[in-house]
Amino acid sequence: MGDVLFLVLRRLRAPLITLIAVYSIAVVGLVAVPGETPEGQPWRMGFFHAFYVMSYTATTIGFGEIPYPFTDAQRLWVTFSIYLSVIGWAYAIGSVFALSQDATFRAAASRAVFLRRVAGLREPYCVICGYGRSGRAIAHALDAQGARTVVVDLDPARVAGIAVEDFDASPLVLVADARHPEVLRDAGIARPECRAVLALTADDEANQSVAIGTRVLDPATIVIARVTDPAVKSNLQDFGGVAVIDPFESFAHNVGADLAAPEALQLEEWLTGVPGGERPETVRLPKGPWVLAGYGRFGRAVAEALTAAGQPWRAFDPYLAPSASLPQQVRTCASAEEGLRECEVAGAVGLVAGTDDDTMNLGLVTMARRVNPSIAVVVRQHKAYNRVLIEAARARLTFVQSDLMTHEVLQALTTPLLNRFLELARRDGAALARQALQRLDASFGRQVPFVWTFECDPSQPGIRQALYGTADPLRLADLLIDPRDPSATLNAVPLLLARPGPMPSAGPMRAPGDPEPASPSWRRHLRMTSRQGRAERLLGAAAAAPADEVALPDPQTALRPGDFIMFAGSEGVESLQRRFLLDPSPIEFVRTGAEPPRSWLFRRFARARRSPSGG
Amino acid sequence: MNLEKVIFGFFIILACSLNFGFFIGDIDRPELHHPIELFFAIVVNLIALVLKFGDRTHIGATHLATSLVACLQLIAAALAWTWVVYVEKTALDAGSTATIVSLAGGALLANLISVILLIGETLRQSR
Repeated sequence: MGDVLFLVLRRLRAPLITLIAVYSIAVVGLVAVPGETPEGQPWRMGFFHAFYVMSYTATTIGFGEIPYPFTDAQRLWVTFSIYLSVIGWAYAIGSVFALSQDATFRAAASRAVFLRRVAGLREPYCVICGYGRSGRAIAHALDAQGARTVVVDLDPARVAGIAVEDFDASPLVLVADARHPEVLRDAGIARPECRAVLALTADDEANQSVAIGTRVLDPATIVIARVTDPAVKSNLQDFGGVAVIDPFESFAHNVGADLAAPEALQLEEWLTGVPGGERPETVRLPKGPWVLAGYGRFGRAVAEALTAAGQPWRAFDPYLAPSASLPQQVRTCASAEEGLRECEVAGAVGLVAGTDDDTMNLGLVTMARRVNPSIAVVVRQHKAYNRVLIEAARARLTFVQSDLMTHEVLQALTTPLLNRFLELARRDGAALARQALQRLDASFGRQVPFVWTFECDPSQPGIRQALYGTADPLRLADLLIDPRDPSATLNAVPLLLARPGPMPSAGPMRAPGDPEPASPSWRRHLRMTSRQGRAERLLGAAAAAPADEVALPDPQTALRPGDFIMFAGSEGVESLQRRFLLDPSPIEFVRTGAEPPRSWLFRRFARARRSPSGG
Repeated sequence: MNLEKVIFGFFIILACSLNFGFFIGDIDRPELHHPIELFFAIVVNLIALVLKFGDRTHIGATHLATSLVACLQLIAAALAWTWVVYVEKTALDAGSTATIVSLAGGALLANLISVILLIGETLRQSR
């Protein structure tokens, strides 16, 4: 607001001084011109009356001649004053209107409004830098999950659509260059409500500036950057704390995983599908020689994945100049026809049509199918409006950058533990993935389970009672008992147990009255989980970094304060399990099968009845 | 020589000197304090105030603050005068004159600070 006020004052200096001068000339004249009383006595008007007369005359209200009828000399001066003051006011008002149309002023004013609205956000939000295809898709996806967004983009034309797009809660928009740290600060990245900053511009360098700027300004905020340039990627990985998503590499990774470790990919697709929906079919790309059309960033990433999966491949790129640094599998040729022939598409099992040009990709698919009708096809879709065109190719797998980005970003934001679990499954090879698939298959069959994180938060009364209130440790299996009927179990599979760093010296055995130990990491959990609501749960647990992770934990594991457990389960199980957090009785109930006495008096009665000899 | 600086300095010093001219004289004798001098002191102080708008430096902010104080005090003096003469319809006596002149004295102090700031700025420039 300060900016706008100063700008207005500075621009209106000349009109304001003009008005002061006009008024003072008119008032002094009115005081100096001789007048007379009705009795004919000579009389001079005082400053008060002169100012009063000028005030209503200059604003064209006109109350008449006071306190006595004017003399002709006074009328002469008032006539002159009227014209003078009308010119003064016209100039002043004209300047105000000109200022309100001024581009600098409007920018400053809208910036002020934006700052006030960001400062007024009292719920968790994400800052999206770059409102391209990916940015828009992610903004809509986050909005559907109930999270607010703040959008920063350089191009006013790109963000102009936000006003008419269909949002539950419209994003706050700032048209500015997100590379500047003060723009990031204005967008509210350093506020505690800001949970994540997504750098999704088309420019890798800009994404790098945003990511590093955010890390420096507020290390607690999650940063996700879309980066494809290897140099920038390694920069950011060295810098640390930035989640880098390379859409080409992610897709290539999926292709490679499908060929090399199908179980891990199957698990990933199952768990990241739409909850409650049908389990997605696995793609099952064929093994054998592959042909890559286009050897740019996308082609190169897929080639690396194929090499890693042990599949032979050949590539051609019409736009590439021949050079010695290219691998020997890469051909440079004049036409697509020639390239397909040189790469022996007739003997290949699959084609990756990965050029920048959608029509070209479709043409390649058609040509390859003419030579080899049974070939498996992977197509890259470049422009969103070509979706129908690309769908017509009926490809085995389609690469759409904005879809992939949305998927990856949401996964990183909503269930960060799921990413860690999938990472473990990938690293471990087939054994863990196969075991997890078996457990999930037994519990959910053909359905995609809901995935959530349960926190053993000692600041919640239910958990505190279960952890410190009794001698029995709280076991993981206790969380899977149905709170409505202790003989039944909840249909949920614990996938991952994440344990924060070394515990404070106080063990799980504590007297019920003791306050819980306060360590910094606990305080953070406390702050994160004391908020309610869907968006909070969505973005709440994302910041914790566990020190110890156990995949598919044993049900008999004793839980410790601060543990995060990721469950996959049927619909509604999460809300049943959340009852354990708030109310002490469900845990007692599921352990003993009896409703424990709730009030102090009845607890005394129960204790007296249990140990009649003790009193 | 910068014309803007001349105009700026002119109005600040004129505001101070007009204020001083009105203030000087026995504090309780109405015939020593003329209303026209008060009127022009107010006008010139208002112009000085507007001239100081929009300077975001620290010294600019202090300048603006002194002018605001001076204008407020002078307008308060004018209102006190108007009240006595037009609302209570009495002639100016020693007591009310003292009120008006002491308000103008406060404004004079603020104007003096403004002039000192101006001199300080000028000295710093010439070095």
